[in-house]
Amino acid sequence: MYLPKFTLESPRSIEEAVSLLGSGEQTKLLSGGTDLFPRMKYKLCSPGVLISLKGLPSFPPQIDEERKLIIDANISLTAITLSPEILEKAPLLALAAQKVATREIRNMGTLGGNICQETRCLYLNQTHTFQFTEPCLKRGGKECYFAPKGKKCWATFMSDIAPTLFCLNASVIVAGLDGEQQIKIEEIYTNDSLKPLSLKPDQIITKIIVPKTQSPSGNGFAKFTVRKTIEFAIVNVGVFLETEKDLKTCKKARIAVGAVSEGPQRALEAEDWLAGKSLSKENINKVSQKAASSLKIIPHHGYSKKYLTECLKIQSKQALNDAVEGLADQSNRGR
Amino acid sequence: MTTTQRKKIIGLTVNEETYELAVECQETLLDVLRNNLGLTGTKEGCGTGECGSCTVLLEGEPILACLMLAVECENKKIETIEGQSINGDLTPVQEAFLEKGAVQCGFCTPGMVLASTDLLKRNPDPSKEDIMESLGGHLCRCTGYNKIMEFVHHAAKLNRDNT
Amino acid sequence: MSELDYVGKRILRKDGPDKVTGKAIYTVDIQLKGQLVGRILRSPHAHARILDIDISLALEVPGVKAVITGKDTLGIKHGFVETPRYPADQYPLAMDKVRFIGEEVAAVAATDVYAADKALSLIKVTYESLPAVFDPEEAMIPGAPEIHPSHPKVKEDLVNIGGKTASGWGDVEAGFQEADYVREDRFESHLRTHGFLEPHATVASFEADGKLNVWTSSQGPFIKRAKLAKTLGLPQSSVRVKKAYVGGAFGGKIDLYTHEFCAALLSMKTSRPVEIIATREEIFTAYRHGQPMIVTVKTGVKKDGTIVAQEFKTINNSGGYRGSGVVVIFLVWGFAMAPYRIPNMKYKGYSVYTNNPIRSPQRGHGAPQMRFAVESQLDMIAAELGISPIDIRLKNARVSGEMLPNGDNVHNCGLKDCVLDIAKHTDFTAKFGISRTEKQGRYRKGIGIGVSAYFGGSLIYPNSSSVIVKMNDDGSVSLLTGSLDIGQGSETILCQIVAEELKIPIEEVQVFAADTETTPVDIGVWISGNAYVTGNAAREAAGDVRRKLMTIAAEELNADIENLIFQNKRVYISGQPERSLSYEELVALSIQKHRGDSVIGNGHWRTMRDEPFHPSLATTKGRWTENYAFDAQTAEVEVDTETGNVRLLKAVTAHDCGFPINPLQVEGQIDGQVSMALGHAFMEEIMMEKGRTLNPSWLDYRMPSICNIADSEHIDVITERYQVGKPYRTKEVGEGYVSAILAAIANAIYNAVGVRLFSTPFTPEKILKGLEKIK
Repeated sequence: MYLPKFTLESPRSIEEAVSLLGSGEQTKLLSGGTDLFPRMKYKLCSPGVLISLKGLPSFPPQIDEERKLIIDANISLTAITLSPEILEKAPLLALAAQKVATREIRNMGTLGGNICQETRCLYLNQTHTFQFTEPCLKRGGKECYFAPKGKKCWATFMSDIAPTLFCLNASVIVAGLDGEQQIKIEEIYTNDSLKPLSLKPDQIITKIIVPKTQSPSGNGFAKFTVRKTIEFAIVNVGVFLETEKDLKTCKKARIAVGAVSEGPQRALEAEDWLAGKSLSKENINKVSQKAASSLKIIPHHGYSKKYLTECLKIQSKQALNDAVEGLADQSNRGR
Repeated sequence: MTTTQRKKIIGLTVNEETYELAVECQETLLDVLRNNLGLTGTKEGCGTGECGSCTVLLEGEPILACLMLAVECENKKIETIEGQSINGDLTPVQEAFLEKGAVQCGFCTPGMVLASTDLLKRNPDPSKEDIMESLGGHLCRCTGYNKIMEFVHHAAKLNRDNT
Repeated sequence: MSELDYVGKRILRKDGPDKVTGKAIYTVDIQLKGQLVGRILRSPHAHARILDIDISLALEVPGVKAVITGKDTLGIKHGFVETPRYPADQYPLAMDKVRFIGEEVAAVAATDVYAADKALSLIKVTYESLPAVFDPEEAMIPGAPEIHPSHPKVKEDLVNIGGKTASGWGDVEAGFQEADYVREDRFESHLRTHGFLEPHATVASFEADGKLNVWTSSQGPFIKRAKLAKTLGLPQSSVRVKKAYVGGAFGGKIDLYTHEFCAALLSMKTSRPVEIIATREEIFTAYRHGQPMIVTVKTGVKKDGTIVAQEFKTINNSGGYRGSGVVVIFLVWGFAMAPYRIPNMKYKGYSVYTNNPIRSPQRGHGAPQMRFAVESQLDMIAAELGISPIDIRLKNARVSGEMLPNGDNVHNCGLKDCVLDIAKHTDFTAKFGISRTEKQGRYRKGIGIGVSAYFGGSLIYPNSSSVIVKMNDDGSVSLLTGSLDIGQGSETILCQIVAEELKIPIEEVQVFAADTETTPVDIGVWISGNAYVTGNAAREAAGDVRRKLMTIAAEELNADIENLIFQNKRVYISGQPERSLSYEELVALSIQKHRGDSVIGNGHWRTMRDEPFHPSLATTKGRWTENYAFDAQTAEVEVDTETGNVRLLKAVTAHDCGFPINPLQVEGQIDGQVSMALGHAFMEEIMMEKGRTLNPSWLDYRMPSICNIADSEHIDVITERYQVGKPYRTKEVGEGYVSAILAAIANAIYNAVGVRLFSTPFTPEKILKGLEKIK
């Protein structure tokens, strides 16, 4: 496999990168390359210019005076799993980063790249020199191989990390020709498989901000796969539980799910239901069922909707139980 | 864009030797190692980051050479399988690989050797789970991984015995 | 008599140092001066007539040196099988029709891959699309689109039949009448790929003197030479297939592949070396995978579990050409009849053309499919009769010296010992006996067993392995063999045998292998006969050398031949070690006193030397092999009743492999097969839709990783032995153990949770359905 030809720009500052992006050419940002290069090798895109973000000034994760965690979008996934600041302030993020792909890919792939990855579909992620030669909607054509009569693209958004940022109520700092702006993580996703990100062509995510959390909290992340490595999730679930001081009563739950729809989803109904309730086994079973039955599920990669619904229930329970167990450990340590 | 930007002169340090090369932007580190430098020990099993055969160490960290642009490796230290044994003396990792019968067809071997070398540098006494974490990206069809698992434990022991 | 020094020892691989240092050169690593890149244009149609191919624009692309289509070929067909009954059915490049998506239509050689792909995109092919059919049972029914005319000798009202195997003995109807219990079940096995790490690759270089040099990632150079020469219209002496290391094959690199033909023809057209490396995606979408198969089995037994009659019907999905389809329907008959006594048997197998890519052998070549069916059903029967899975297998297992209905003799057969030993080793009865009501909680364990038998070498071109062993002046030896090491370690075991026969340090045996010009003919490493057939040839060649050394030593030492001892490159008189001669001295003496004889030994071996041919693929008449290996395998699994995920916790293989020449390598074969079966059972599936592959990458085709490792233990049941100077009958270890374990896993899942699976793979979704957690 080979890459199509392109020219590479290596800006030294965000401003330079933004101006290059805005220069009107058919350009793409290059961060870790682990999502982009396979897509380019499969000829799913052939940008004339790549703008590498590797030469930008970088900084390690920081905790600011408001106790917010500020993370460089270019941080590698491996660095996320090793950062004391992240492990202290946003362990959920590290749990998810650890589950991405393989060690080599975690060494290369970045946080910004992971949350900006493209949507995936069996009919899409291959070259089309002799299979599925007629372009599908995502490739600019008129039909969808997955749902032949539909006029909608059903490719799924597979990031493991994005759901955890939903749980953490994170924001991103976006640089563009109009300057910097802070956007809630939820708002960068469109829930449109054709164009999963709402960012404008000149915009670059430069930082991820995780706000300070108030209560004692528990974290859980479940990723269900066949192979446990080199695999996107069948379904993934992030759970962040804020509790009362007793560590047993849920004050606020944030549950987010990935890989089964056009973008990450919050299980809002389930979250609301759990708020104020005891984190008992029974309640966790109930809330998992609620999450599974209330969320949008697109059959993907050969898995049926019924099966995915069951998976989502079981994995939600897994993530919730992990979060509760973590709380129990805190409680034990507290004694 | 001018055509001169398509090709860049870069310095690459591979196995402690420095090369000056004219490289096109789209050439991967794997392309350059194999085609320009003749270092064919680094293998292409898929080209899309799914098999681990092309693993090399970049600044000491295992990465996939098939998904890394050569021009972005300028002035960075690259280690490939060819740089592992000095003057024919095998490293403990290589020795353990042989002794435990972890080699069959050998196509995944260079990547496995480099990833294990990195693992043992970080963690002199890895558990089964640590080995899974580090070698999870290296497909091997011949061995069923049992002897791969054994060799890493054995290499760790050889390393400890040496120090 | 004397103890063995090399055979039976855990000798390290000869090629190991090259492989751990990155020095081993595989076909993909070969870079010749002026080498061009070749790429192949493939059909986007599952079934279509080719009306016109216009290459004019492609030829104008800068850097393009040649474009070839079917018109540039001699139009000589080839096939995995080429017999009067099953003549070759495939052109190396499509001529008139295409029969599957991905079929090769044209090829380009260019200075770089960009130019080559640009040229491919400019070749204009005009097709007339034809109706297509993908399911073999649909393809058989009259009225289905005709892919090839049905085989003229198959008189049933069926279409698209590439071939049929029909066999049997006794009277099955009478047998079923006589039986106390009869059941019939249908089992389906899905499409999987070989998963070798090195892609298909060929470098061909046509020299000015008319010689075509070829390096290709294969399973033996001689069949490649024969088929290249035939399809290119060259004398075999003009084609030289040379050795390169092979990064795995598993049955997927045997036959002539179109990229090999195209690299050669493009090199002939351009007079420059041409390299074609298949992309991983091409391998997944357009190359040959294994054999999906439908097996229907009806079995009648007595109350005590004795099998009285068995009737089989199998259907393979052969794809657009015959490939190995007509072989697999023959082989599964063999895998059905070998392990157990079946007094009355009826078998029919159909190989059916469909508009899918062609199928090839894949490790086990039909055995996993057949053993999955038989061994699953046997457990169901045992449960129905209240007999233990162990007892029903012991009741029916073949024993030493038994003659098979086809005239084969199983010779020393350790099957019963395999079953008994594995039952004891795993505490099978106790574990199996834990009732499911006692198994509570989310994770539930189970144990299951399966049995299999596998042949070791048969009569397929070139039917013979020859080996040459040359003494060098310094007393070391060179071993010349046509056998190709594909990772299984053939070079190492051949060295062990030569080292043993000559009592020479293994480091002093140099191997020169797999070069059609300089090494003798070899059967190839694809019918599980290397250790037996080529091994015995190596033993004979070394024996030839040994006799020569002995003759000279006896003359020089004035001793009786019987009193001579070989040790560490010296020959001495028994009891008088001071009266000795070194090999170095003996070679010099031979040259001096035996008219220049520099001590070269040759040996050859043919399995079933009295049989003229391979048995009939159509009727199974004629002997199949003289070398049956047997095994019993158990699987211990843990079922997660919430996710439906099943883990293989431990696999045990009790095997009668004759004797292991190199136990270290045998373990590697066992572990690798257990892992491959684990992939078959749980993880791997080529998903296809109307002839197109949905998951053509290792990301979406899930081959096991180290995270899916299963504990693998083994028990050797030794039934043969090695003696210097005598023929031996060791058995195969490279293919047999992907089969019983598959059934063992299915049986273990049933033991754990009561879910009986009739199709592979055993996905979480099927388990959850079985548990009625999803509908």
